[in-house]
This record gives sequence, structure tokens and C-alpha cells, in this order.
Amino acid sequence: MTRIYTPWFLLAAALILAAIYLFPLYWMYVTSLKSSSEIFANPPTFWPRDPDPGIYAQVWHRRTMPTFLWNSLVIASGVTAVTIVLGTGCAYVLARYRNVWIDIGLFVVLMLQVLPASVMVTPLFVGFNQVGLLGYPRTAVVLAAAAKAMPFFVVLVRATFMSVPRELEEAALVDGNSRVGAFFTIVLPLARNGILVCAILTFMTAFGEYIYSKSIIQSPSLQPASVGLSGFLGPNSTDWSSIMAYSAIYVTPILAIFVLLQRRIVSGLTSGALK
Amino acid sequence: MSRLFNSLRDGIGFDIVLVGAALVFLLALAGAPLVYNVLMSFQQVDMFTLGALVRPFVGFENYVAVVQMPEFWLVTRNTLIFVFGSMAGQFILGFSLALFFAQRFPGAATIRGLFLVSWVMPGLVVGAIWSWMLAGDFGALNVILRGLGIIQSNIFWKSDPAFSIWAVIIANIWLGLAFNMLLLSVGLAAIPRDLYEAAELDGANAFQRFWTITLPMMRPTIGAVLSLGLIGTLQQFDLFPAITEGGPANTSNVAGFWSWQLSFQLYDFAKGATVSVMMFLLVLFASIIYVRSTRHEVRG
Amino acid sequence: MQLSRLGLLAGLAAGALIAATPAQAQVTLKVWSIDGNDRPGIADTFSKEFDDANEDIVVEYRYIPFDELVNETLRAFATGNAPDIVSFDNPDFALFSSRGAMLDITDRVEASDIINVDAYFEGPLNSVKWEGRLYGLPKYTDTIGIFYNKDLFAKAGLSKPPATWAEVVEYAEKLTDPASAVYGITFSARAGEEGTFQFLPIIQMSGGNADKVNTEGAAEVLELWKQLIDNGWASRDVLSLGQWDSTGAFNSGNAAMAISGPWEIDRMVEDAQFDWGVALLPTITEGGERSSALGGFNWGIMANTRHPDEAFRLLEYYVSQEDRLFPEFGNLPARGDIELPVTGIEKKDAALKVFQEQLQYAQPRGPHPEWQKISKAIYDAEQQALTGQMSAMDALNQAQATIDTIFNK
Repeated sequence: MTRIYTPWFLLAAALILAAIYLFPLYWMYVTSLKSSSEIFANPPTFWPRDPDPGIYAQVWHRRTMPTFLWNSLVIASGVTAVTIVLGTGCAYVLARYRNVWIDIGLFVVLMLQVLPASVMVTPLFVGFNQVGLLGYPRTAVVLAAAAKAMPFFVVLVRATFMSVPRELEEAALVDGNSRVGAFFTIVLPLARNGILVCAILTFMTAFGEYIYSKSIIQSPSLQPASVGLSGFLGPNSTDWSSIMAYSAIYVTPILAIFVLLQRRIVSGLTSGALK
Repeated sequence: MSRLFNSLRDGIGFDIVLVGAALVFLLALAGAPLVYNVLMSFQQVDMFTLGALVRPFVGFENYVAVVQMPEFWLVTRNTLIFVFGSMAGQFILGFSLALFFAQRFPGAATIRGLFLVSWVMPGLVVGAIWSWMLAGDFGALNVILRGLGIIQSNIFWKSDPAFSIWAVIIANIWLGLAFNMLLLSVGLAAIPRDLYEAAELDGANAFQRFWTITLPMMRPTIGAVLSLGLIGTLQQFDLFPAITEGGPANTSNVAGFWSWQLSFQLYDFAKGATVSVMMFLLVLFASIIYVRSTRHEVRG
Repeated sequence: MQLSRLGLLAGLAAGALIAATPAQAQVTLKVWSIDGNDRPGIADTFSKEFDDANEDIVVEYRYIPFDELVNETLRAFATGNAPDIVSFDNPDFALFSSRGAMLDITDRVEASDIINVDAYFEGPLNSVKWEGRLYGLPKYTDTIGIFYNKDLFAKAGLSKPPATWAEVVEYAEKLTDPASAVYGITFSARAGEEGTFQFLPIIQMSGGNADKVNTEGAAEVLELWKQLIDNGWASRDVLSLGQWDSTGAFNSGNAAMAISGPWEIDRMVEDAQFDWGVALLPTITEGGERSSALGGFNWGIMANTRHPDEAFRLLEYYVSQEDRLFPEFGNLPARGDIELPVTGIEKKDAALKVFQEQLQYAQPRGPHPEWQKISKAIYDAEQQALTGQMSAMDALNQAQATIDTIFNK
């Protein structure tokens, strides 16, 4: 796949493709600066008639954004941690063997995430209430969201483990390592990049976790940013400009961090997983 | 005792613990709600018995009632169109982009990272933006398509019964593209470069290299991406209330949204659970196929 | 059905016994409502004031997003954490009141000095009643009327707003100007409560209601609306736009008329660069029966509250402050005896007068415990007719068949 076209030509093509794909993001920024009715103007304005950047400061203050963002961070980190700890090992085993039990295990893992979160909320809510977890709402949300994210993580990381050659592990075992040792010293480092990518995806999904948080976390000081966003929806009116501004404040740093992080991982990927 | 400890460190015990821990967690937090829902589809539910597990048993009455509802066949048809349309679009475009970005040029990695914007943006926002972009009168999509000469007059994506499901599919393809692209990229990157170089030396052209090297080596990844894509697409929700809310007249109503509508807008929890169990059966079938296909995967 | 009612009555009896014991030093009341999230609202402000003014009562207020109100309350009910006072959107009230989940306050209200039932508009009051008994009180209300762009009207040689739907079609034809991207009219026929919200008044004007939707008059107007869409005098997107977004187009000068409610006024005053006014919702025939949509929320005390007396005191406090509803929060009280203070903004005051008049004719949606299913039958039929999938009468007949099964249970 390394036919050498002019790299600059490829870069130009890449930029065009990215620009097309990012158009909705651009629309988000532009809408945040428009007045409420201009959003519906025909013909649509690709640049606001009367940009109002003051809305960003307004939204930041109106919405206790620092608290919300912190809660989102806490929940996302928790979910990622739980998912990695429980999911990695499971994925490793499911990749290592090929028999009926593994098939069943993979199948069960897959099927357990089929139901949408909206129908899972009520029984989880009732269950959490019974065990008293509603007193620790963020923990409850972390557990619920991790259960949602884990099957996805396991299936993907399993695919990563599949690309780690069995021979290397066998060699380590022959050399006298225990299974535990071989796992931690040989297999895990080789699968590191795939795991990292999946962890990041899990983090980003969990950052936007909405349905569970909305019902389980009742106190505004513990709610994540996604729930804070829904506060702009009124019964009859919706403050779209503020919603877009809020969303911009929320999205931009994450996107920036991810783009930077991604470069490091990808450089690891392209140098080959099989050093 | 030490045998147990040994097997934990070094034998089958180790495997069982690793899988067992995850499974126990999942069964408690995802299995129990699943059972609750399946049970609910066979019972008569009202607001007073929402929290209970034991309620009047009505057999298959709910299932019969759901199938007899006028929108049932329309929803089924829409769900199939939605799933195949979305997955085809996401996969083909995602794979193409992954192949494109696998080439070496400056900035490839950074630019590829930008595609994840669809995952970072809150569902509510993505829904709203696409709703505006797909508007017939003030939508950016129509303006662009007219500007490029592809269409002559505005298409009312959201309000025309023929197009409404496609409106949501377009938005969903945009949403799911990044996931497909990124994961297929990871899979592509794991294929050793020397295989390609050897094949090129042997005289294989680009298409042959793709067919004989890339695809087989990518099999586990492709399988994972497709099966997860199916589940994710069936669960897709945020776009529907924002763009069409299932309309006009249920022409863009799919099983996932309909189940939600029945439970949380019409407060008929038993029927909502019934539809979700039906969705579950669809995925069951697809999952069996995926799991069987993993037998043919090439390891390492 | 019988069993659960009995069980509930037994529970209430037990609760009454417990409540009869001398009150504790401090009573905590939980109030849930949609207010207070973005800016101070009715429920949170009044609750706090009551809390501060009363030593023996603590009021815990919780904000809930409006489309989660019913589901959160249902869940709380299921886990025994239901609030004492909750505020529902008016069509959702019957879901609870008909099942005995709301406290019957008929007698308390009659004995009350502060609450005067007769002062309320008929429509809002009907939505809190069930089988002749009172289960709550209206909190605030709104309705819909027809906004029109006076400048565009003048340009087209029109001087008065349309009085009947036939006139609406006539005017829309004159006002539509594709070259300037102006539609004659915009409204909402969206798949959801908003679609029914705007269409039910038509059904009511034709002599029907939630239980009878397939009237001649309703089919006639539906055909008129279809004409508007087919001829391009209204955008096809009315089928997917909500009222707020649709009226946004009006504010931008892309439609000459819009059907919406008083919540639009503030934004319109700010964004609309033209002269505009509001008129009563057009009727089907000249001088024919009037109706309009009834929006707004209701308060209710939940039946399993452990402090019904204190909760009722809080409710009385809310009612006593109803004259502050408009000046401080911009909501219309559901009472005809409260004068709205003049704001000084000419267009706003004129608009409010029209809406107050319209409120006299506003009718509730239902009330019926399964209103939401009735609503879906109605908006599905509306959309089928407007997209030409069925004739208007056939669509309404199909809706009627579904509605009959709901009413005949």
C-alpha cells in the first residue's frame, strides 16, 4: 500500500476530506455566534451577521461548567479504569483459545450490551436503590456505564490480542515464565497500542455519558457536562446558541488533546507491533 | 490449596479468573436488566408495578399486540434499511479513508485524529446540527448540493416520506464513520509491511495485494467492526428525536426509537420491552454468525 | 386494576393513620419541577421563600428536565422516593390523577381562603380534574395564536389578519414569494406532541375532541393545510419543525404568518426586524366555534405524601403568589382575575392581550390517562394526510379506530 504519489498531493487531499467531514463542527462554532432566529434564516448564513462572542463567557458562568467538566472527567476516568482492568484480561483469554466455551463467552459478552441504555435505566435504578448505591451516584454511573462499554472494549481488544503471535508467548513460557508473568511481560506490552486506542475511545464515549447520569445523579453538583447541556432545553423554547457555545467549550479541548495523543500512539502503531 | 494457587498463576485458573471477573460484572449490571426486560415483555405493567419483578403474566399477548400495530411492518422495514444503509456507508467510507490515511504523507496521523470529532460531540448537538443541515429551506446540505449542481430544487430530507429515513442514515454514517475508520486503521497498521513488499516484488498489483493480503489479515478486525457496528446502529437513538422524531407518519421510525417511544413517551412499558426483545433476537442471530466466523480467524 | 386500587386505598388509609399522629418538629417537603435550572423560576423561587418563612417546614427543591418529569416520577414512585409536590405538563396529569396517585384536594380547596377555583380558566381547570374531583391546580398556562408580519401584509395589500382557515390559505397564496424565500405561513405538524398541540384545536373547533377526531371540519382543514404544503405556500418542513424552530423562520422574515404561543414574544421583540402582531386562532367557519391549544403546567400533591397538610399549605402559598407569575417570570397565570401589568413594549403588550383573550377558548388535551397514545394516533394521521399517503378523512378514520380501542378499554 505504499505507492508513492506526491506526498503533498496526498496531504492536500487529506485536508479536503477532513474539511468536508468537519463541516458540522464548523457549523457548531458558527451557530454559537448567531442570534436565535438567524439559525433558521433562509438562505442560511455561513458566517454570522452579527457575531456575539460574549456568549462563551455567559455560558461558562451560567452553567457552573468547571464543576460539570470535572464530574465528566471523574466519571469517564472511572469507567475507563474499570473497563481496562476487567476487560483486558477477558479479551486476552477470549483471543487465546478456540473452543466452544470461548465461543459462548464471546457470545455472552456481545449479547449483554445489546439493549439500549434507556431500557436498562429503570431496572438498574431500582437495583441500585436496593443496595443503597444511589447515595454514591457517580460510582453507580461508573459501574453502569462500564458494563455498557466493556463488551465493546473486549471485542476490540480481543482483535488486538489476535495480532500478537502465539509463538512469542509460548517462547516466554518455555523460558520458565508463569502464565501470569508471560501475560504481563510479553503479551501485554505488545498489545499496548491497541489497548490504548480502545481505552481512549472508551474514555471519550464515557465522557459523553448521558442517559444513566441523567436519572441516577440527582444533585446538580455531581452531574456531568452532558446533563448540564440538556438544561438549555426548555418546554417551548431552546437556547440553541448557548447550547452550541457550551458544546464548543466542551468539545474543543478534548479534540485538541486527542489529536495530540493520537499522534504518539499512531507513531507507535506504524513502527510495527512486532519489534 | 497450593494446586489452586498454582493454577491461578499458571494454569486454567488464571484464564477462568480473567474471564470470570468480567462476566460476573457484566451479568450483574447488564444481565439483570436484560432479564428484567424479557420478563416485562410477558407481563402486564403499570406505574405501580414498575419496580417489581413479579407481575401479572400475560403470555404472548404483548407480542401479538405489537405485531398488530399499524406501524409494525413499517418500523421493521425502516430498521432493516437503516441498519444496512448505515453500515454499508460507514464501512465502505471508513475503510476507504483508513486505506487512504495508511499511506505515508506529512500530517497523516494528525489529520486522521480530527475525524474523531463525531465521537466527542454530544449526541444532542450532533442531532441538532444535522437537523439544521438537513432542513429543506435553510439547510446547508441543500445549498451545497445545489451549488455543485447535483440537485435542482431543495430536497426536504426530513419531511418527505421517501427521504426521511435516508436523512437519518446520512447523519448516522457521518457519526459512525470515525469509529470504523479508526479501528480499521489499527487493524491495517498491524499488517507487516514486508508482506506487501514481497507481493509487489512477485508482481501483484494493488488490487491483488488488497484481496490476498489485506482482507484476510484484517478478518478479526473487520468482524469486530461489523458486529459492533450492527449493535451500535441498532442502539442509535440521539439522531432520531433531533431530526425526524420517527416521522413523517413513522416513515423514519426504527425499532430502537419505537421501543423508546412506547416505553417513555406512551408509557406502555410492556410493549417497549417487547420491541426491545425483538431487537435483541435480531442481534442474537447476527452475533451467532460473528462468533462462528471467528473460527476462521488467522492468529498473529 | 381493582386490586391495585384497593391496595392503594389501604396504603392511603394506613398513611392517614400515621399522619394523624402529632407532627414532628421539622417536616421536609420535596418539590420537583422544571424550573430554576437556567434562571430563577416559579417553583424554585416560591419554594425557597416558603422555606425561609416557615420554621417548621423545610422544602427541598429538585430540578428535572421537562421531558423527564413523568419518567422520573414513575421511577421514584416505584422505589418509594416520590416527591410531595410535583408539577406536570397538563396532558400528563391525568396519567397520575386517574390512578389515584395524586391527592384529592377538592375539599381542602373548597375550605381554603386563598384558593378560588372559579377564578381559573375553564380549560386549565379541566386538566386537573378527574371524574368531577380536583387533584391539583394549574401552575401557569399558555396557548397559541397566529402571528403575522404586518409589513409583508401591507405589501400584499392585506390589512387584517385572517379570520378563517380558508382565508389563511387565500392570504398565504398572496404572501408567498419564492424569489425572496418567503413562505405564506409556517406552523408545526411535527411527529410528536407539538403536532397534536396545533391540530387538536382544529378538531375541537369542528365539534370533536380527544374521543372523536374524524369530524368533517377537521378533515376539511387538514385538506386546506395539505393545499398549503403542496402549493409551496407553507414549507414541506412543517412536518419536521417544532414550533420554536418554525417561528424562528418567521422571525428571520422567511414566513409571513406563524402559529405559535406567548413564549415567542421576547425573542420576536428582539430578533424580528419588522412590524408584527398576533391574532386569535382562525376558525373553521366565519364566526364559528373557537378553540385553541392549552399549554402550561399543573401542580399536584402526590397521594402517598406523608405531609398532606403541609404540602397543601405550600400549594396555597404558590397560588397566593400568582400575581407575580408574569412580571417576574414571564408566564401567564391560568386565572382570569389577574391583570397583567403593562410592560411598556407596545408589541408585547398587544400580543399578551390577544393571548389572554384566546385563553378563554383554550381547551385541554384530554384529560385522559392514555393521552399520549391518543396523541400519537392524531399526529400520525395528520402526517399521513399531509404527505398524501391517505386522504384526510381516511387518515382520521384510522386514528379514530385506534382511539376507540383506547376509550373502550
